Amino acid sequence: MSINRRDFVKTTAVAAAATAVGMTIPKNLLASAPDVSEGGWRWDKSVCRFCGTGCGIMLATKDGKIVAVKGDPAAPVNRGLNCIKGYFNAKIMYGADRLKQPLMRLDSNGNFSKNGKFKPVSWKVAYDEMEKQMRRSLDELGPTGIAVFGSGQYTVQEGYAMAKLMKAGFRSNNLDPNARHCMASAVVGFIQTFGIDEPAGCYDDIELTDTVVTWGANMAEMHPVLWSRVTDRKLSDPDRVKIINLSTYTNRCSDLADIEIIFKPHTDLAIWNYIAREIVYNNPESMDQDFIDKYMQFATGFVDTGYGMRKPDHKGFTDLERQTVKKEVSKIISKEEAVTLGYLGYKEGDTLEMKHRASANGHWAITFEEFKKGLEPYTLNFVAGLAKGNPEEDLASFRVKLKLLASLYMEQNRKVVSFWTMGMNQHTRGVWVNEQAYMVHFLLGKQAKPGNGAFSLTGQPSACGTAREVGTFSHRLPADMVVANPKHREVSEKLWKLPAGTINPKVGTHIMKIFRDLEDEKIKFAWVNVCNPFMGTANANHWLKTARKMDNFIVVSDSYPGVSAKVADLVLPVAMIYEKWGAYGNAERRTQHWKQQVVPVGSAMPDLWQYIEISKRFKLKDVWGAKDIPGLEGGLPDVLDKARDMGYDPEDTLYDVLFANEEAKSYAWPDPIGEGFSNTEAAGDGREIIGTNDEEWKGYGFFIHKYLWEEYRTFGEGKAHDYADFDTYHKVRGLKWPVVDGKETQWRFNSKYDPYARKEDAGEFAFYGKALKSILQGDLRGPIPSKGKKDLTNRAKIFFRPYMDPPEMPDAAFPLWLCTGRVLEHWHSGTMTMRVPELYRAVPEALCYMHPDDASEYNVAQGDLIWIDSRRGKVKAHVETRGRNRMPKGMIYVPWFDEKVLINKVCLDATDPQSKQTDFKKCTVKIYKA
Amino acid sequence: MADELQNNSRRDALKTLFQGIGVLGLGGSLWGSAAIKLKASELTLRPPGALEEEDFVKACIRCGTCVEACPYDTLKLATLDNHTAIGTPFFEARLVPCYMCPDVPCVPVCPSGALDVKVIAKQIDGHNTDEPDIRRAKMGIAVVDQETCLAYWGIQCDVCYRACPLMDEAITLEYKRNERTGKHAFLEPVVHSDICTGCGLCEHACVTEKAAIFVLPREIATGKVGEHYIKGWDKADEERLINIKKAETKESSPEDVLNDWEHLLDDE
Repeated sequence: MSINRRDFVKTTAVAAAATAVGMTIPKNLLASAPDVSEGGWRWDKSVCRFCGTGCGIMLATKDGKIVAVKGDPAAPVNRGLNCIKGYFNAKIMYGADRLKQPLMRLDSNGNFSKNGKFKPVSWKVAYDEMEKQMRRSLDELGPTGIAVFGSGQYTVQEGYAMAKLMKAGFRSNNLDPNARHCMASAVVGFIQTFGIDEPAGCYDDIELTDTVVTWGANMAEMHPVLWSRVTDRKLSDPDRVKIINLSTYTNRCSDLADIEIIFKPHTDLAIWNYIAREIVYNNPESMDQDFIDKYMQFATGFVDTGYGMRKPDHKGFTDLERQTVKKEVSKIISKEEAVTLGYLGYKEGDTLEMKHRASANGHWAITFEEFKKGLEPYTLNFVAGLAKGNPEEDLASFRVKLKLLASLYMEQNRKVVSFWTMGMNQHTRGVWVNEQAYMVHFLLGKQAKPGNGAFSLTGQPSACGTAREVGTFSHRLPADMVVANPKHREVSEKLWKLPAGTINPKVGTHIMKIFRDLEDEKIKFAWVNVCNPFMGTANANHWLKTARKMDNFIVVSDSYPGVSAKVADLVLPVAMIYEKWGAYGNAERRTQHWKQQVVPVGSAMPDLWQYIEISKRFKLKDVWGAKDIPGLEGGLPDVLDKARDMGYDPEDTLYDVLFANEEAKSYAWPDPIGEGFSNTEAAGDGREIIGTNDEEWKGYGFFIHKYLWEEYRTFGEGKAHDYADFDTYHKVRGLKWPVVDGKETQWRFNSKYDPYARKEDAGEFAFYGKALKSILQGDLRGPIPSKGKKDLTNRAKIFFRPYMDPPEMPDAAFPLWLCTGRVLEHWHSGTMTMRVPELYRAVPEALCYMHPDDASEYNVAQGDLIWIDSRRGKVKAHVETRGRNRMPKGMIYVPWFDEKVLINKVCLDATDPQSKQTDFKKCTVKIYKA
Repeated sequence: MADELQNNSRRDALKTLFQGIGVLGLGGSLWGSAAIKLKASELTLRPPGALEEEDFVKACIRCGTCVEACPYDTLKLATLDNHTAIGTPFFEARLVPCYMCPDVPCVPVCPSGALDVKVIAKQIDGHNTDEPDIRRAKMGIAVVDQETCLAYWGIQCDVCYRACPLMDEAITLEYKRNERTGKHAFLEPVVHSDICTGCGLCEHACVTEKAAIFVLPREIATGKVGEHYIKGWDKADEERLINIKKAETKESSPEDVLNDWEHLLDDE
């Protein structure tokens, strides 16, 4: 390849920048400077649109369209490879029914009508109606009357802009992402255990470990590129490296596994405790006593916390639903629970009143002796009997496998990585089971070390980077701060240049509650961003009816007409990933940025633009006066006087203050980093879009993406959440935060690798997370306030958490477990992948996987169309007794990508009471021929 | 959108052969140029339970009963354009594969015996029963073109493997290390000809523009080993001797050989 002078200067600049931040850039990375070939196409780096693995890709653009994609050979995650979804990144944007203009329900006079049909409208008409409807809800209900469904697929800048708009602008914390459904239990587990979010380790652990244990993580289908790394590690040393797959049914991971453990739903809680019991009672020498003494604190919490459901007296429930929902307030102790909750004095048949529903997060320090006492019931006999999930398996063989599992964890000098995803997170005791994983790794001192660690994998491409790190949750602010903490509000108000008292201290509604509040008419305006929640939320019949029958206004910003768009009132067409600038953060804390490769289709506009355009329509005087907040005494203060003192005018718009301030305007566009690339938001893009004010869109005139990134990263700077500057990310294949002195961090909390741990000077490790580090002390039965609080600076917690039954279990009327999830070929609700013809034909419909004996028992056959019917709703699907998921008797599996098989109508909307994450993995159904 | 994906006819498969692309599968055995002599009709996929092609075409009365019985509209009757005996049933896996119904509804309805339950009879203790067993169907064999199969590139695909109704039997995954990346493995689909029924669900599901895995009639896709050599490590292989005819001998005179001086002294 010949290199002209300009290219030479450019590539040299890249190398120089890399040297400046202390990174070595592989030689082939120089291709990252846009490479225009003789054929006229341009290659540029980007990131895969789909899962949380975070594979790097290169995109070829020609004549304003993406024409090809290749895996990025320089990307450390995937080294040029992709899975079959990644292979089709180039095709996702050009589906036939791509949304290209705003669509609104109109009556015959052209006015908005809830009962109208969708018709095209201008951006101005769309925004006029949206503004009107927002004002209506804000006037009637205050800041809590509006809500935003956010996403783990937001770019960092989109999530940050929406968080700022909602929390600083509208003073509403009713912003919550679909990531709530995906890893909220992991987050609470991290915060309670470490005091800071996200994994200690990184993907390099795969190559460095001797043992991979998957717990409710079908990596072979859900993280295929990582699974190919696990496979390679196994091949590199087949005798030494062991793979153990724990699941409630046989999935593709079992192909590679040395041991497959099929357990009964929810009994992972008991299996972890069995391992811990083996360690503590039978093999105490395997404990890393020094590590425990120096860096750990034993702890436990309440059990009578409910299951995140509404109370049974809610008027919206049917009698059938109430059969399950009544357990929210009390339940009868089962035979198994009598054993596992015996330490609290419960016996079989007793009533457990759910007294700590509101304080489910409460936990306190206990002694090692108390911890040990809690583990006492989890003997091999008890746990094997409780947990064996395949009725056809011999109990003796199951016991042998459990024993082997424990011994692999305990084996001296054996490195172990535990991976989990939705099996452990989508769980009504998801936080507990996350904490149990750390419990075992901590007891053995096998955490935060190369090749050793409990590692929570992530489902979505930026669940970590945006939803969690930016904090697009109803309780969060950027960099692990929370709205309920006055100091955190103060810090955020300072960085956002807000008057003190602007941010609403009352935690907003989580995603499940947004739906419930819509049904109860506590929220009347909702905006769906980068997700499809009306398809992806359990107990969907309630929410679909709510959207169409109640007095509310639903806006859906989307690229294709999915289920959420169908039940909406206004649909706004969005630019897709490569039609905008953005950044994602993957599961190993790697932040990756990309440039806008092409101009959006039709009149579609970037999400970021859509959020910022609405900010132009509200003035400070509309939102920063005194506001009533239900449950907040005194409400929100009037901060307009303080705003005046800061130089703001009540007539200023939220746009002026939040997005187009002096700081923002200092980021000029054009910028050398974007040379040769479009920037629809900054400068328009030649399409002559008529904007929300009926004038041609010509851009904000400044580099909004760079401004938002640079402002955002000040939140984490010096707080172990450091990122590099904007330009650096456009030259490297992502960096794992914290990025300190230009260097990324592979293993956190380990002084050898993490400068923040080193700084604490606490020894080999420092669990320096700041949250929940001063807790009460007590015993297994509860906190004893007279003992006072304990300071846990630089310590992590080892929790004792018991086994409890899930709220719905098979019975005579609904005899089968239902588990839902994904398939490799499709992403989430299928809005993108079902429109790629090849992926559609590969897996055109969601099938109901079941054991052949169950098919015979319920008088259905391979290929039959059947009803899958629960206490909440029913759907039809075809029977599959063969294929990828081999179910044990008594359990069926139905993936959720297919809107014609809207399985969430059937699912139960019970959540973990702490994390509010829904359990999509277990509810009960009956089946019969359709 | 379906049209662009429907171009993988039997003829295309033939063309692939002529281009000399190394088509593997079947445990790695190479096969190739013999197909040149084939008539197009010999590349037709027949319903399960069909007699050998020649007998089938003779026996079939072109009544279409099997086509009506097929719940998936897999089977069609050949027209002039289909390069096979007009009116006989066949299927094109890329368009609609055989879904391997456990009750095999297309076979028992055949009035002529062209489709015969005995061909796919369920066996209990080695004896045929009157029930059909779709697993014994031999409609064809799936063949993988390793050059265009994404899994052989290292892409994590294996769509065919998961689509296979006899997953882990008819198609298994072979794991190999990827030396280029140093940390990813190849998960390569491999077809086992003794199990594969030729249903074509793999060909139907394949995501490449033209399927990289496709079904050919068994006669075309399989080789045959001479009966004079038996695997010393496989007792069951001796069964091939059961059908052996008397060893063939050819007579010619050694004197004639001795007296044939042609080419022996080339400078003469």
